[in-house]
Amino acid sequence: MSLPQFKLLRPRATDEAVSFLAKHAGNVRILAGGTDLIPSMRQKLFEPESVLDLRGITELRGIRPLASGAVEIGALTTLSAIERSAYLRQHFPVLTEGAATVASPVLRNMGTIGGNICLDTRCLWYNQSLTWRKGCGFCIKKDGNLCHVAPGGSKCWAAFSGDTPPALLCLNAEVEIAGPNGARRIALREFYTGDGENYRKLEANELVTRVFLPEASADYRGIYRKLRVRGSIDYPLAGVAVVVKRLNGHVADARLAITAVNPAPLLVQRAGEMLIGKIIDEALADAVGDLAARTAKPLTTSALTPEYRREMIRVFTKRAVLAAARP
Amino acid sequence: MVAARSSPLEAGIVKKELIELKINGRAHELAVEPSALLLDVLRQDLSLTGSKRGCDESSCGACTVLVDGVAMMSCTLLAASCQEQDITTVEGVSEHGSLAAIQKAYGDWGGAQCGFCTPGFMMTVKSLLAENPNPSEAEVRSALSGNLCRCTGYSQMYEAIKSAIEAERQGLAAAK
Amino acid sequence: MNNNFSIIGKPTAMIDAAEKTTGAGKYTDDLSVPGMLAGKILHSPYPHARIKRIDTSRAEKLEGVVAVVVGKDAPNPYGILPVGHDEHALAFDKVRYVGDNVACVVAVSEAIAEKAMELVDVEYEVLPAYFDPEESMKAQSDLIHDNKPGNLEKDYHHAFGDPDKGFAEAVHVAEARFIANEVTHAAMEPHSTLASFELDPHTGKLGRLTVWSSTQVPYYLQHKLSLVLEMPMSQIRVIKPLVGGGFGGKSEVIPLEIIAAVAARKAQAPVKITYTREEVFWAHRGRPRTIIDLKTGIKSDGRITSVKARVVQDGGAYCSYGVVTILYSGALLGALYDIPNIQYDGYRVLTNKPACGAMRGHGTVNVRFAFESQLDELAAKAGIDSAEIRQRNLLMPPCITVNGLRVQSYGLPECIEKTVERSGWKRRKGKLPKGRGLGIACSHYVSGAANSIIRSDMPHSTVNIKIDRDGGVVVYTGASEIGQGSDTMTAQVAAEMLGCSLSRVRVIAADTDLTPIDIGSYSSRVTFMAGNATLRAAEDVKKRIAAAAAKKMNCPAEELVFRDDLVFKKGSVPPVVKKDQAEEVEVTQAGASVSGRVEGQILRGSLQQKRKDEGPKEWMTFEEAVVAAIDFHGALTGTGSYAPPQEARGGKHKGAGVGPSPAYSYSAQVAEVSLDEETGEVTVHKVWAAHDCGRALNPVSVEGQIIGSVWMGMGQALTEEMVWKDGMLMNPGMLEYRSPSSVESPEIEPIIVESIDPEGPFGAKECSEGSLAATIPAIANAIYDAVGVRLHESPFTPERVLAALRAKNNSKRLNLTEGVDPTAPARFREHGGSLCFKGKGPERHALDPARREAPAAARGAD
Repeated sequence: MSLPQFKLLRPRATDEAVSFLAKHAGNVRILAGGTDLIPSMRQKLFEPESVLDLRGITELRGIRPLASGAVEIGALTTLSAIERSAYLRQHFPVLTEGAATVASPVLRNMGTIGGNICLDTRCLWYNQSLTWRKGCGFCIKKDGNLCHVAPGGSKCWAAFSGDTPPALLCLNAEVEIAGPNGARRIALREFYTGDGENYRKLEANELVTRVFLPEASADYRGIYRKLRVRGSIDYPLAGVAVVVKRLNGHVADARLAITAVNPAPLLVQRAGEMLIGKIIDEALADAVGDLAARTAKPLTTSALTPEYRREMIRVFTKRAVLAAARP
Repeated sequence: MVAARSSPLEAGIVKKELIELKINGRAHELAVEPSALLLDVLRQDLSLTGSKRGCDESSCGACTVLVDGVAMMSCTLLAASCQEQDITTVEGVSEHGSLAAIQKAYGDWGGAQCGFCTPGFMMTVKSLLAENPNPSEAEVRSALSGNLCRCTGYSQMYEAIKSAIEAERQGLAAAK
Repeated sequence: MNNNFSIIGKPTAMIDAAEKTTGAGKYTDDLSVPGMLAGKILHSPYPHARIKRIDTSRAEKLEGVVAVVVGKDAPNPYGILPVGHDEHALAFDKVRYVGDNVACVVAVSEAIAEKAMELVDVEYEVLPAYFDPEESMKAQSDLIHDNKPGNLEKDYHHAFGDPDKGFAEAVHVAEARFIANEVTHAAMEPHSTLASFELDPHTGKLGRLTVWSSTQVPYYLQHKLSLVLEMPMSQIRVIKPLVGGGFGGKSEVIPLEIIAAVAARKAQAPVKITYTREEVFWAHRGRPRTIIDLKTGIKSDGRITSVKARVVQDGGAYCSYGVVTILYSGALLGALYDIPNIQYDGYRVLTNKPACGAMRGHGTVNVRFAFESQLDELAAKAGIDSAEIRQRNLLMPPCITVNGLRVQSYGLPECIEKTVERSGWKRRKGKLPKGRGLGIACSHYVSGAANSIIRSDMPHSTVNIKIDRDGGVVVYTGASEIGQGSDTMTAQVAAEMLGCSLSRVRVIAADTDLTPIDIGSYSSRVTFMAGNATLRAAEDVKKRIAAAAAKKMNCPAEELVFRDDLVFKKGSVPPVVKKDQAEEVEVTQAGASVSGRVEGQILRGSLQQKRKDEGPKEWMTFEEAVVAAIDFHGALTGTGSYAPPQEARGGKHKGAGVGPSPAYSYSAQVAEVSLDEETGEVTVHKVWAAHDCGRALNPVSVEGQIIGSVWMGMGQALTEEMVWKDGMLMNPGMLEYRSPSSVESPEIEPIIVESIDPEGPFGAKECSEGSLAATIPAIANAIYDAVGVRLHESPFTPERVLAALRAKNNSKRLNLTEGVDPTAPARFREHGGSLCFKGKGPERHALDPARREAPAAARGAD
């Protein structure tokens, strides 16, 4: 399968990228690590006139701890770099854990944090070749108007399958978005729509440039648990991230997020409330697990049945919470 | 009546561009389409057929090359995007006209059977050993986990890697 | 045991290893010839439809397109089995699965061919389709093939002994349904074929055809090409370059091989077609989903009294090897244990999915999973140890089994003994911590089929050897190296027999113009059959060398020993001191000292002349002996062939041709697994695998084959499965078809058992397939040992395991079907729900079948 033909734009700086975007808005795809976009273009899921290749923008690479204790991560920082950062591992361990589980080592050398945040939602009826999709009569996310997963519905249920966003949600991360009117910063939790088709709030002339981890999120215990069939390569079939800060054995603060079971990664709001002020034990972890499982709405978008994946959200949540409580 | 043929433009052909790639230490000037993948350029334009295409979705690792020393999948890189970078393919692994220790060891220990995935493994192992000259078995397993092999079950590869490390060590000791 | 060999039995790097590790070796897709064009195949989007019209005119008009090939360009049907000629190069009247081949576009580049493919207008009449074999068998109308009523490809009903009487004698009986889901080879190299015609020098028209292809069976390919193209076989040359794995997936003629040749003929230019990974899944020919209703009875001492099996295979849309598969499934119930009574009812059923065919362990794997699981269950019922019950049911060879299979060498007892010992079975079984367990299972496989599918008395392998004046040995064999070590085995056998070093031997293989016929690399036949043929060819040529050497040495030829590149009299001590295995030698003789590599280059020139002038000698170098023979006979060649002996060809009942083999390999395995009882995830920690390969000609390769088989079995046991919805393959790629990665692959300890077969080359038998079948039940039995749950459906995905655990513990049930396509029809109605389409207007994709522009209008505009 060859790629559709396109013009290649290779900006050297963010400004240049933004002006390219403005010029070609609506008919351009942004290429960072390429690990999702290139296979998708082979499958003709995208046939843009132009591709904006960000690989040459060095200013968007790197992890910069700020004096305040907060951290700024360039959107083009590779997942390998995040996985290997001693600083992040010490202060934001949930993120390095999440990054370390993405796909395989070679793909993490290519894939970027910005790309993982912007990762297209996935579905077995969508991530297929053009010939294959022709066979099923296309789907609501691309070229058709039927959802094979929830027939009769008008909403797309393709699952968001990034591993780092649940960790970033737990860390109250913010993303910087550059556009024609300059840069704006929003909380990551505001970034996703919950709809599989238009899954993120990013205008056609905008791109994600940086991620910020606030100082207040540093030094939480963090755990990420991922359901996959193989020990490598696979996208998550369900994923749970949890961060906990404890004071005198009691939970001072906690957040929990899930991924790969909804069209967006979700912060399970009430989980934090349930945990704060408590001593974590089996029963509490169980209760949080039940809550997370109720938040999950998996459908047959991936391998393993929805029922099982929801069940694993429960089990993994319980385990992650207990692990985060361990001294 | 001779049917009018559609022009290349109507067929949607985008003009080729001149790019320069540095591969195994040599610079090549090439005219490629902007959408050309590094793997296709290596195999078709440069006849460097050592890198293989095993899948179409960036999951098998048979096309792995080193880009500035980092293992990457050449099927997932645009050729035009790799200019100004040092690319090493399996053809650049042999040393001084003879097999590198890891190539010899893969042969001796059965690390290669059908050999189709082997070039990719050569590159992944090379980058692993450059970074971590004495990896544990768990580290080896994890490092190799993005390259699929259907023949060996990977076991004999671990033996090969161990023996290559030992050969390198002895070679270095002898050189001193 | 005679260990006095100089070449075989020693770990040897494959002779083509450096080609592979340097990337220098060429696989088919690495080849190109001047003027070569690219071919792309248009596939059916429907599982079952009649082709009403194909219009290729729009595609042909696209700049860069050279030809568009359709079914009528090659109307002759073909198929791998003589009874199954039901395929066409491109669909003739009907398409029978999503992915069936409709047309092929030849263009100057792959991208243009892809673009043109979308311009081929095909009008289909969609037909009802069948996806479930049990449903398919009930079909009254819209048959998949008109000449196969009830969509039944073939059924067999065998009874040996008295099965009912056997059950009457049984004390314990177990009966259950097992399901093994569909798996595929997924060899790393996607299929590729390059076809090129020469111009006939007399007529200037297309003449001879050369085809380079990723095939395990070059001679079958030559034959089928001849059939479809209506060309004499001698006008077709098939060359097999390096092949990136086969596992059976390249053991028959795959559509692209025929299509490339037909396309090259129509385009009048060389054409290369290489499958995408998705197309590899559609070409398939893998292991069919198999439903096994199995009943076994034992006496209280564990002796098996009777076995009854009803096996239904979901064979896909074409026959392929199907008739053989369904027969193997029954026949191979027989040669592992002593079973007095067997009833077998096998059904090979057609469905609207890609054709299943031969895959590693062809026919035996799924039934073996069921049988070994059930035997384990019966052992528990009878209170007998699982290893012990297997030991109580051993055959007593030499013997002929109840279903007519001749068994000679039989290393199974030692295999069981060794795995039990190495795994600490007696010490550890039943005593591991909760959630961890051990399981044992056995399997076996043929060393080549005693009856070839081409139904002739022709020997199955023939090998020619030519020896050059400098002692260089060239072996010409039709056997196909596909990564299993065929070429290395051939070189080793020749070198051992000729007593020369391995580096003298060059192997020229699998080129129908150069190499004598060999039926191919499948059913684990190469070592046994091509190995024997090589042995005989080497013996043949050796006789000539010995005769000449004997004359020079003034002794009877029978007294000569060939070894270490020397020919010397039996009992004499050769004057060569070997320092290190064939590395460097020093020859001291009459004051002349020559030191150098053994590569046949020593003792050349004056020294050679000097020795020639001397009188009778005690010894000669191999090279000298060769020169003597060539001087005497002329060019030195030898030939040898192998045909399985009549006694090994099986019984007389219908279908008796499949199953018999000159020798069977045996395997016993112990798997150690642990289970996460909350998630159902299974971890295989280690597998001890003992395999009786007769004699290990190259231990490093034998171990590699054992490990590879066990590993592939583990893949089928835990992660690999082709998932279908309405005839759509949901996971046609390496991302979703989960071939295990290095992280979760277990440690596998291969244990070589050598039973020294009386007819194998140096006693060797097969080693590449037999181990696979034991792995799945060994893991299943280990899971039972760990948590007391018996799994009846493979793969043992975490959800299936968890569901079984919940069912056993009567805890909250896990409903595996909830939310799974509630609207999915059991039988195909209207594909892809196109009835539901209301159209999205202009946003709708141009290729949406519901929005096809009237091609007539398009034509009118031209």
